[in-house]
Amino acid sequence: MVIRRLVSRWQGVVLSLIGLTATIWLGLSGQLALYIHPRYFVFTVIMAVIAGVLALAAFALVPGTSDAPDDGHTHDGDAHTDADGPSDGHGSRWGWVWPAGSVLTIIAAVVALLILPPSTLTTATVAQRDLNGSASALTLKAPALPGKGDYSAFTVRDWASLLRSGAGQDFFADKTATVTGFISADKTDPNVFFVTRFVVTCCAVDAQPIGVPVYHPGWQNDFKTDSWVTVTSSFRANPNAASPEAIVLIPDSIKSTSQPAQPYVY
Amino acid sequence: MTLPAVDKHKQPEHEHRIPTRAFTSKSAAGLVVGLALVALFAVVRVLAPSTPENFGLPNAARDFATLSISVVVESLPFVFLGIVLSIAVQVWLPEGMLLRRLPRSPVLRRLVLSLLGMLLPVCECGNVPLARGLVVKGLTVAESMTFLFAAPILNPVTIVTTAQAFGWNNGILVSRVLGGFFIANLVGWIYSRHPRPGELLTTRFQETCNLADHDGGAGRVQRSVQMFSQETRAMMPALFIGAGMAGLIQVAVSREVLVALGSNPVWSVLALMLLAFVVAICSNVDAFFILSFGATFMPGGIVAFLVFGPMIDVKMLALMRTTFTAKTLLQLSLLVALCAAVLGLAVNYGH
Repeated sequence: MVIRRLVSRWQGVVLSLIGLTATIWLGLSGQLALYIHPRYFVFTVIMAVIAGVLALAAFALVPGTSDAPDDGHTHDGDAHTDADGPSDGHGSRWGWVWPAGSVLTIIAAVVALLILPPSTLTTATVAQRDLNGSASALTLKAPALPGKGDYSAFTVRDWASLLRSGAGQDFFADKTATVTGFISADKTDPNVFFVTRFVVTCCAVDAQPIGVPVYHPGWQNDFKTDSWVTVTSSFRANPNAASPEAIVLIPDSIKSTSQPAQPYVY
Repeated sequence: MTLPAVDKHKQPEHEHRIPTRAFTSKSAAGLVVGLALVALFAVVRVLAPSTPENFGLPNAARDFATLSISVVVESLPFVFLGIVLSIAVQVWLPEGMLLRRLPRSPVLRRLVLSLLGMLLPVCECGNVPLARGLVVKGLTVAESMTFLFAAPILNPVTIVTTAQAFGWNNGILVSRVLGGFFIANLVGWIYSRHPRPGELLTTRFQETCNLADHDGGAGRVQRSVQMFSQETRAMMPALFIGAGMAGLIQVAVSREVLVALGSNPVWSVLALMLLAFVVAICSNVDAFFILSFGATFMPGGIVAFLVFGPMIDVKMLALMRTTFTAKTLLQLSLLVALCAAVLGLAVNYGH
C-alpha cells in the first residue's frame, strides 16, 4: 500500500529525472548526436535543465502539502475528497498490475538510459531499411561539383549521390575518394562491401543508410561488418559485370578506424 | 447550522499553522531526496561501461534500444515544453483569458481552436499535456480533440518543413493542410454531439479535472510544481512505453513489404498509413522522412501519411490514453484513418 502510493506519486518525476539525467550526460559527453540531429541540442539541453529544476522543486514542495488537511478545508462537506490520491480508485483484484507495471517501466528506463552504453544504429537497421534506397538522402544535398579540383572534402553521402545520379565511368575515371564509414555486406555479391553511413534528418528513428560500394575479395577475413574503416581509392568498373553496382572503389589497402564523434551525416 | 460555521473558522487556522512550521524542514528533506536521486542516477550513468561490445547484445537488440532511446530523447523536451505551457495556461494566465476570447458559436470556436497551433508551435507530443490543461480550464472534450488533431498540422514549423520537402508538387502541401483542418473539425463536430462527453475521458483524468477546482488555496508556485508532478505522472510512463513499442515495431516489421505495396493507388495509401502509425515521427519533420519514399509511393499515400501520422500513431495513442478511454481512442483512430484514407485515395485518383 505504501509502495503503491509512493510509486504512483513519484513515478512521473522519477522517470523525468532518469530521462533528463541521461540527456544532460549525453550532452556533456558529446554523445547526443547518436540520437538526435544537432539542431536540437540547445533546445533539448535547455528543456532538460528547466524540467530538472521543476522536478527538484516537486521533491521539495509537493510532500509539504500532505493532502489530507489540504483537501479537507476547502470542501469540508465532501465525502470524496480524494484524500487517498486518485491512483487508489482502481479495483482491488487487479490493483497490483498498475504499480508492478510502473516499477517495470522505471527499471526499463534505468537500464536503457542509464546502464546501456550509448550506441549507433548497426547493420541490422541497414538490412531493415534499403541501402541507398532513399531518394531524399541522396538528392537533397546533391553536391556542387567543384570544377577541376578538390574532391577531398567529399563524404560518403556526396559520392553515393554522384554514383546514383548516373554519372558515367569517364566522370569517375580521374577521381580519388577518401571515405569513412562502417562496413555492411552487399546482399548480392560476396566480393563487395559498402562503406556505410546513416543520414539523419531529425533523430535516429528516421535514419536512412547510404553507402559507397568497395570491391575487395576476401574482405570478410580482415574486417567484421559494423567495424569502421577509411578507404582511399579511385573508382573502377566493377569486375563483376552482373552486379547492380557498375562503378566501385578498388582499394589496395583499407585502414581500420574508430567510430567518429558524429557517426551520422546530415 | 452553527457547527460547520465554527468548524470553518477553526480549520483554516489549524491548516495554516501546521504546514508553515513543518514546511521548511519537510521541503529541505524532499530536496535532499531529489538531489540524492539525481546523484545516484548520474553515478550509475558515469560508472556504467561505455563500450557496446561489453554487453554482447545482438545487433537487432542494440538497434531496438537505440531507436527507442532516440524517440525518448527527441520527444522529452517537447513533452516538457507542453507541460510548461500547460502550467502557464492553467496557473499563470489570468482566469479565462484564453477561453473567454473564443467565439460563442461552437463551430466557430472549433475553427479558431484548430488555428491555435499557429501560435503554439509545439510538436504533437507536447500537445497532449497542453490539451489536458485546456480541458481542465473549461474547454469541452470535443474542442480539445479538434485542437489536438489540428495543431500538429496547422503549425508554422510543420508547414515550412512540408513546403521545403515537397513545394507545390502534386498538391501534397495543400491537401495536408486543408485535409488536417477539415478532419480535425469534423471529429470535433461529431464528438460535440455526444450526450455525455465526460464518459469519453478516463476516470483518472476526470479526477484531475475535479481536483483542479479544489486547490485554489495553494500559492501559484506550489500549484505549478504540483501540476508538473501530476502531468509527468501521466505523460512519462506513456512516453516511455510508446517509445519502446515504436522501437520494437521498427525492428520487427520489414520495410520491404511496405515498399512493395507503394505503387498501387489503394495499397500505397494503406501501407503508408500503417508506416505512419508504426514509425511515430514528430509532425515537424515527418515530411523529410517520407520524402525518402517519394519515388516509390504515390502522392495520395504520402498525403495520407502526412495527415494520419500526426494525429494517430503508437506513441500518440499511448500519450492520449492518459486522457481518453480506450473505446474513444478506438473510435477516433478508425474515424481519422477513414478520413485520411479517403483523402489519400482522392488525391491518387483525382490526379
